[in-house]
Amino acid sequence: MSGNGVNAAPAHPFAIGARIRTTWMARSRQEQLVYKLLLPVFGTVFVLATIPFILAVIQAVTSDSGGFIGLENFGRALGNPLLYESIKQTGIYAAIALPIEILGGLGIALLVHRTVRSNIIRAAIYIAAMIPIVIPQIAVGVVFRLVYAADYGILNVLLGQTGPHQPLWLSSPPLAMIATASVDIWQWTPFVYLVMFAGLQTVPSESVEAAQVDGATTWTQFRHIELPYLRPLLLLVLFFRIADVIRVFDHVYVLTGGGPGTTTQFLSLYIYRIGFKFSDLGQASALAVLVMVAMTLFYTIVLRFLPADRG
Amino acid sequence: MKLRKWLAMLVPIALVASACSSTPSSGTATKLTIAAVQGVEDAGLKALAPMYKQQKGVEIEIVEAPYDDLYSKLVNAFKANDSTYDLIMMDDPWMPKFGTDGSLSDLGALGITQDPDIAQVVWDVGTWPPPRGPVPPTETSKAKQLLGVTIVGNVEMFMYRNDLTPTGPTSYDDVLANAKAQNKQGSVAGYIIRGKATNPVVADFLPILWSQGGDVFDENWNVVLDNDASKAAIGFLVNDLKPVAQTDPGSTDASDRDKIMANGQGYQSSVWPGEINTAVLDPAVTKVAGKVTFIPIPKGKSGKGVGMMGNWLLGVPKASKNQQAAAEFIKWMLQKDTQMTYAQNQGIPSRTSVLKDASLTAANPYFPVLADALQAPPNWRPRTDQWNAVETIIGTHLNNALTGGETADQAATGAAAEIRTLMKGAGYPTQ
Amino acid sequence: MTHRSRGFTRVATSVLLAVIAFIFAFPLFYLISTSLKTKADLFAPVPSLFPPAPTIDPYISVLFTRGFGGLLVNSVVVGLSATVLSICVAFAICYPITRLPASPRLRAFVLSWALSLRFLPPVAVVIPYFAIVRTIGLYNQLPALILVYTIFNLPLAIWMLRGFLDEIPLEIEEAALVDGASRWYAFRTILLPLSRTGILAVVIIVFAFDWAEFLFAFILTATPQAMTFPVGVQGLVTQFEIIWNDMAAGAVIAIVIPLSLMIIARRHVMTGLTFGVIREK
Repeated sequence: MSGNGVNAAPAHPFAIGARIRTTWMARSRQEQLVYKLLLPVFGTVFVLATIPFILAVIQAVTSDSGGFIGLENFGRALGNPLLYESIKQTGIYAAIALPIEILGGLGIALLVHRTVRSNIIRAAIYIAAMIPIVIPQIAVGVVFRLVYAADYGILNVLLGQTGPHQPLWLSSPPLAMIATASVDIWQWTPFVYLVMFAGLQTVPSESVEAAQVDGATTWTQFRHIELPYLRPLLLLVLFFRIADVIRVFDHVYVLTGGGPGTTTQFLSLYIYRIGFKFSDLGQASALAVLVMVAMTLFYTIVLRFLPADRG
Repeated sequence: MKLRKWLAMLVPIALVASACSSTPSSGTATKLTIAAVQGVEDAGLKALAPMYKQQKGVEIEIVEAPYDDLYSKLVNAFKANDSTYDLIMMDDPWMPKFGTDGSLSDLGALGITQDPDIAQVVWDVGTWPPPRGPVPPTETSKAKQLLGVTIVGNVEMFMYRNDLTPTGPTSYDDVLANAKAQNKQGSVAGYIIRGKATNPVVADFLPILWSQGGDVFDENWNVVLDNDASKAAIGFLVNDLKPVAQTDPGSTDASDRDKIMANGQGYQSSVWPGEINTAVLDPAVTKVAGKVTFIPIPKGKSGKGVGMMGNWLLGVPKASKNQQAAAEFIKWMLQKDTQMTYAQNQGIPSRTSVLKDASLTAANPYFPVLADALQAPPNWRPRTDQWNAVETIIGTHLNNALTGGETADQAATGAAAEIRTLMKGAGYPTQ
Repeated sequence: MTHRSRGFTRVATSVLLAVIAFIFAFPLFYLISTSLKTKADLFAPVPSLFPPAPTIDPYISVLFTRGFGGLLVNSVVVGLSATVLSICVAFAICYPITRLPASPRLRAFVLSWALSLRFLPPVAVVIPYFAIVRTIGLYNQLPALILVYTIFNLPLAIWMLRGFLDEIPLEIEEAALVDGASRWYAFRTILLPLSRTGILAVVIIVFAFDWAEFLFAFILTATPQAMTFPVGVQGLVTQFEIIWNDMAAGAVIAIVIPLSLMIIARRHVMTGLTFGVIREK
């Protein structure tokens, strides 16, 4: 359909205008209608969403007084060893939270899908799973502070560990990482569950039954019939979750304030620290632009190997 | 058809909302909007607002934000020259930033004059550039202006359990000796460290640092956080006090400290006047009523006990369209009768005569101590617009040391090196 | 597989599910329990699982004494308006790329652009947005939030809606067009009713995400006239004090409204959550 001389450049935010011009004449009336309908709304939203991004880029390459300073802010951003520390910590956090969220969400969805037949129980599980998404972030942090804190936290009380050697969930490095990641897991595994469970409902029952007649085990049934249906969903969930790990802020701020030391100073806390504590908005913008570029690259690479879309 | 009903229902709501919210604010000063910090610090202010409306016919709208959020909000508002706020509450370490950026109006020019009944340090802390101590290199040529007036006369103090020891510590040697004697594992902590990363741990530590003869900067902005006295002070916190402190200093913030103290599970700690009423003196929760004495910061190796100022000031943004009316409100707030009412409603006054007024002492046993602390005078945090960054650096390293991530010496040298890089980058003659 | 071992598996999985459910329910239980405690209960040296003397004072405090009731109204208005706007915009974008012969590359561009919106850390765009909103005179007004939320939830709305539209066979609409109907007529009478389920699903999910947003609501508002509920709740963590019970009550209140909406539209939401990418295989 598009074999009309468009070069195979990857989708790029700023290339659309040129592409429209070069190919306009070659298109059918229907194809022209696509652009006529798409342009007004998409164009407006595109501009509205892109202006702040451009302003952030401008902020990153100018000084406070407004002069152009080139890539100085990027240089300073990349020259700070604390950046790499925070990337490492964010990576560890993601490595703990994301597999559990995604595999856990998927596993629970499979379990419920295969064993729970009662619509009422399914509905109850479903309703419960939506709750963590709508709670204000700060309140999530506060509740888990009541759970994890030493002395007045309910967890150590329930574990019977209230003495001087109780586990310090919020201030010993490995435990603080686990505590903050566990909040993420608590909040977002149900979201993955909902997506996966709903996805499983759309697998045609004929294929499942045919496989069962052929004597497929539970595993092969999942591997060859359900997984192909779920794969694009898994990718989408992965992208959304990774994008959200980079925004993690409130519950960490309430629980540990980034401590002990810099153990839980994740990327978003680090950028906040540079932007608002160090009042260095130029560097913070440079960091944000870098994060976005890196994420987009990552996303493009993943999509190349694991396409989520026919296109 | 369900959908159409939905849409029909929602769209008018949206339109009405847009219409309602675009009511223009009136140009005359019938209303003043104050950006205030959320918490006990603005309780008194909230009590005064209806009185002002009654007496002067001007409505006071108080818009609250939590500590960190208020700061970022003000930074944003000033950057955009926004006129929403006619008055702003600011913590005194924020003043250098706002002074350097020229965000606030000169209150002297608006008719506010110094009053001898209010301690000199209160006027000094609201003056920019600072009348004493090192001045940032960009600020040396500016004329001195009064940019803020204290409405919460916070000075960090010290508290101890008078039922456990009849006399309190007079020196940090006493603090340590008493902590060792009173520390009973699992029931009473000898000392409560407020050690949560960044701002909290620094607020707890600076009085110790200063009293022990250390400092962050010298008179010429050289970093001295890694000199012997400063290292010893960090060592005192990490190596001496921590072993006789509560279970988990690394995640303890003010509210946790107050809870431990109010429950009778701690012997002593530093304390801000602003936090006393939330727990230790709150009859609904305290188990140590009448058993806590408030005293000035004990003396350290420097021979002095140096309290830390944490004054909340009221300033008028240059962008405000109601400058004179805002200044009139400040003047009214400083009147003695207003301050009395203010003090009776959880406000922390700054007038010496009010702080020493016998009728207030029963409910606020720390007032006379506060009056003396203000006369001492207490130290303020270094007057530089880089303070937030410096505080974050120190607070991260101290928290790391308190949780075993590095030694006290490593914290001192690590923080000092980062602060040097920061200050040089900001154009200071730091060595 | 014998009958017996299947029965055992069923019991084992039920137990496993019950354990998982317990772990996830516990913080919620503790949230509700905390919201019914008094300040004195919260100062007990050893915390209790259940409120010793349940009180609804925290709820009264949040809704009335602190005046968060008004913020709740703002939240509902902003959430519903932004959701409707998101759906309309998402429809305008998804219609051409799903119902018309758009090139796969254009389709991929629109979809990946939408996803990339979510990759920019909010800290960086907060100040530019603040500046823009002030310039166009919408600072501290609900329409500013409605606009920003619309943009930020487009990725979700576009990806979900596009999935639903993909599932509706093109032929149905084309049949009408061949009969001489206008595109608008075909859209209104055929596509819209058919995608009703999907639209409602997107409405609910987008509303849930709008509902909990804090950062932009905080930066783009100045007074309770435009502040939303999460901004109010944030204020319960002050420098010296966390007001635990009011905070918990605020969280419970924040759960109740979207939850009611979700319970009402449960089936639609379930369909919506497949993101519609399934049928493409």
